[in-house]
Amino acid sequence: MEMITFAGLDINKMSFKQMFFNRAMLLAYLLLIVGILGLYQVYDLRYFSATLTAHDAGIDPTNPALKEAMREAIFGTVGEIDRNSPWTVLISNYMFMLYTGSGIIFLVALAELLKFKVIEKLSVGFMVVGVAMVFAGLFTITTDLHVLNIPWMLITPNTEAAMWMMLPLYLVYIPFVLFEIYLLLTNNRALARKLALVIVIMSIGIDFIEYYIQASLFSMNTARHLWTQFPALTLYFIVSSFVSSLGVMGVYTYLVHRNKSEYQPLMSLIRRTMLIAIVLLGVFEVVGYMSVDKVWANMILQGPFSTLYFFGYVLLTFVLSLLLLIKPGNANRTVLASMLVIIGGFVSRLIFVYGGNAVPMSNRFGTGFEKNEVYDVAEPFIYTAPHLGELCIVIGSIGVALITYKVFDGLFSVAKLKQH
Amino acid sequence: MNYAMALDYQSCINCKACEVACKEENGVQLGADKQRIWVGMVEGSNEGKPFVNLYPSQCNHCIDAPCVSVCPTNASHYIAGGIIKVNADQCILCKGCMEACPYDARFIDDTKVAVDKCTFCEHQIAETGTTACQATCPTKVRTFGDLDDPNSDLVKLLEKRRFFFQKEEIGTLPKLFYLVPEDEAYAKQSIGPNTKIHTWDEIKPLYERAAKRRSQEWK
Repeated sequence: MEMITFAGLDINKMSFKQMFFNRAMLLAYLLLIVGILGLYQVYDLRYFSATLTAHDAGIDPTNPALKEAMREAIFGTVGEIDRNSPWTVLISNYMFMLYTGSGIIFLVALAELLKFKVIEKLSVGFMVVGVAMVFAGLFTITTDLHVLNIPWMLITPNTEAAMWMMLPLYLVYIPFVLFEIYLLLTNNRALARKLALVIVIMSIGIDFIEYYIQASLFSMNTARHLWTQFPALTLYFIVSSFVSSLGVMGVYTYLVHRNKSEYQPLMSLIRRTMLIAIVLLGVFEVVGYMSVDKVWANMILQGPFSTLYFFGYVLLTFVLSLLLLIKPGNANRTVLASMLVIIGGFVSRLIFVYGGNAVPMSNRFGTGFEKNEVYDVAEPFIYTAPHLGELCIVIGSIGVALITYKVFDGLFSVAKLKQH
Repeated sequence: MNYAMALDYQSCINCKACEVACKEENGVQLGADKQRIWVGMVEGSNEGKPFVNLYPSQCNHCIDAPCVSVCPTNASHYIAGGIIKVNADQCILCKGCMEACPYDARFIDDTKVAVDKCTFCEHQIAETGTTACQATCPTKVRTFGDLDDPNSDLVKLLEKRRFFFQKEEIGTLPKLFYLVPEDEAYAKQSIGPNTKIHTWDEIKPLYERAAKRRSQEWK
């Protein structure tokens, strides 16, 4: 393919049609359309629900819109967010996408540091998959926020809040990773070689800080004991991300590199690393649920989340994956295990977010869970099913990841082997 | 100034006049769970006899409020007297404060697309010295006042009666003082076994120190 060289980068010269109208892109657009439909529903709920205050009713009692708003207030569930369960599947997806993407970038940096040649050759592709997932995570979280007020993050920052720290973090993290990719892609190999060790060490440092800030986001919620009492939450996030990151790397390797000579050694390396990561994660799960407040632990291990926990997470991530990975030699089994840990990884993020909210805060007086109306039943368990719109946004985020990857691949052929 | 409230909850008759007055006074969004204040009910039985405990609740305006420390834009902030308010224009809807609040005292006001909560009716303290919920309560459950004023009704009441806090072990230094019921049976059924009971003389130094530490932020 004809190329243009710009700032040391070899950029593929391709038509608009070649770039944006191919099978992968069409699939991505389809996913993105689902996401946009979800966004429409979420924004409709958030910004255009029929709502009113006591004052509205007094100021203009003949307004026909009041009738609808009053009906919603009395008989409906007004608005987008349930006060008992503020964080939803969007946060779970944000966690999954962002942690998994960062995990891939983290693992590639570690592999470079430890001189795993087979990863070094393919590192650009993996890094771009990582960045694509980070973008998918950021797309998800952006839809969850009131974006018009985001400038206040800069105007009146609370620099001690973990939520605020994410802003400078990503302002540094994303350009830094893009710079890493640039160095890997660039023809200026001498500079890349000189900076390699510094960049790799910085990359590991930034990745670690990122997980630390993410862990702080949860552990600051003093009353939610699943999040505050889970031991070494930063490390737990890193290890659990490594498992799903290796899963994504396994599937990506199968899709992109299966006809190359590096396929078998790469899958073998992924298999061995995944085995170690799964065992470590298993230790974390056992120690974690022994340490967490027993009300939360019981809710997940023996309560309403137990089926999802054991069949959606433990069975897929630990039992079946270990059975598939324990015996070396068959790359197809590693691919299957990779798919299972990706699903298990997403389920674990769901359980973590929803589990943190599952125990009602209403046992304020130590005498039992409260209710607000005589004919209510006191809820010992909180679960609010996600809106269809939220689920559509989750699907749309896969489209964002796919588009990001395909744009990078179209311009720079990131799936090709690189020597650096 | 250090505003707080005592709740003589044994007198609550669940008329919900406080909830209505709050909505009317503050223009709170209408809807079953869109409440700045509420009366929680816990049902139980004691030696086969069923009972219902009524717990009027609202934001505790904690001295070490987790909702303020987690807010990325300072939309949740302290104002004079240690009252915690939300500036709706600055709220990015991250919902971190809702997760951080141990008392479920926050909700989304869909009319403003922002988090909302009790403000102790701060807009009318200077004029009336009270809150809508206190003013409307037919059984005088609530006593609002200034902990720094030894002559306030609040401090006088706390000097006379023992009290406890919700979820004291979390360490947020809440400022809703629940008065121990004078009726021993009601006290037994409505106070959790692990709840610590305090007197004003004992707790005053802790609250004074904490308020002094925080007072720079109470603008």
